[in-house]
Amino acid sequence: MARQHGKSTVVKVNAVDLTQYTSNSQISRKGDAHDVTGGGVDDYVHAGGLKGGTFTMDGTYDTTAVTGPRAALQGLLATSVPIIRQPEGTGTGKPQDSFNAVMTGYSESNPVSDMVKWSAEFTISGAVTTTPQA
Amino acid sequence: MNLAEVMQELADQLDTIAGLNAFGYPADTISPPAAMVDYPDGIEFDATYGRGSDTMVVPVYVAVGKASDRAARDTLGAYADGAGAKSVKQVLEAGAYEAFDTCRVSGAEFAVITVGAVDYLAAKFTVDITGPGE
Repeated sequence: MARQHGKSTVVKVNAVDLTQYTSNSQISRKGDAHDVTGGGVDDYVHAGGLKGGTFTMDGTYDTTAVTGPRAALQGLLATSVPIIRQPEGTGTGKPQDSFNAVMTGYSESNPVSDMVKWSAEFTISGAVTTTPQA
Repeated sequence: MNLAEVMQELADQLDTIAGLNAFGYPADTISPPAAMVDYPDGIEFDATYGRGSDTMVVPVYVAVGKASDRAARDTLGAYADGAGAKSVKQVLEAGAYEAFDTCRVSGAEFAVITVGAVDYLAAKFTVDITGPGE
């Protein structure tokens, strides 16, 4: 067993590397379970159905033009974009999730006593492909 | 962020206040009014993924004279003012820095400090620093 710290996580959205502006991200995957229980049994029986999920990320606002989170994300609302997630960081053999997702939300918060923060929400569209990095 | 560069750039910016002698370290001999950039309690690494940013809280002392001196009170008042040519908050937050991205003077406390066996009325300013991790 080897624990993995979150600080090495890499996240790229629409081919833009947002890693250095991101402080938290989460992928949540789910699958449907259909009730196919027939008569004469004592226990429910379920069959697997469609898979789906969401992806969220947030971090610290940065003024960097083009590659900053605002510039990279704000125009993607309701658009399906490719996302790459490397939960153990970059390196040969380390896992990588690749998927398309529709950006369903983008937020910026401006607390008076802290840095400007941003967050984005995505709904996964299609399959999540998990492969080891080359 | 390089700690020495951060402390020195803060001192250089404070040096732009007319009549204020600024030190980028806790000097053992001063000629008031004087500002001393002290060491932070620590550095918080990994505010974002991939060594994107770090943060630290840097204390800055401004010593003005004898606590029982009315003129010292008036002098310190100008430095602790939230705005004005001698406002530590205004001057520090208006600076252009290379060692870090942004700073905010979040507060000030008042006390009598001893420097070189001499007691001075002083203000301790709390400066929140955020800068690149690499």
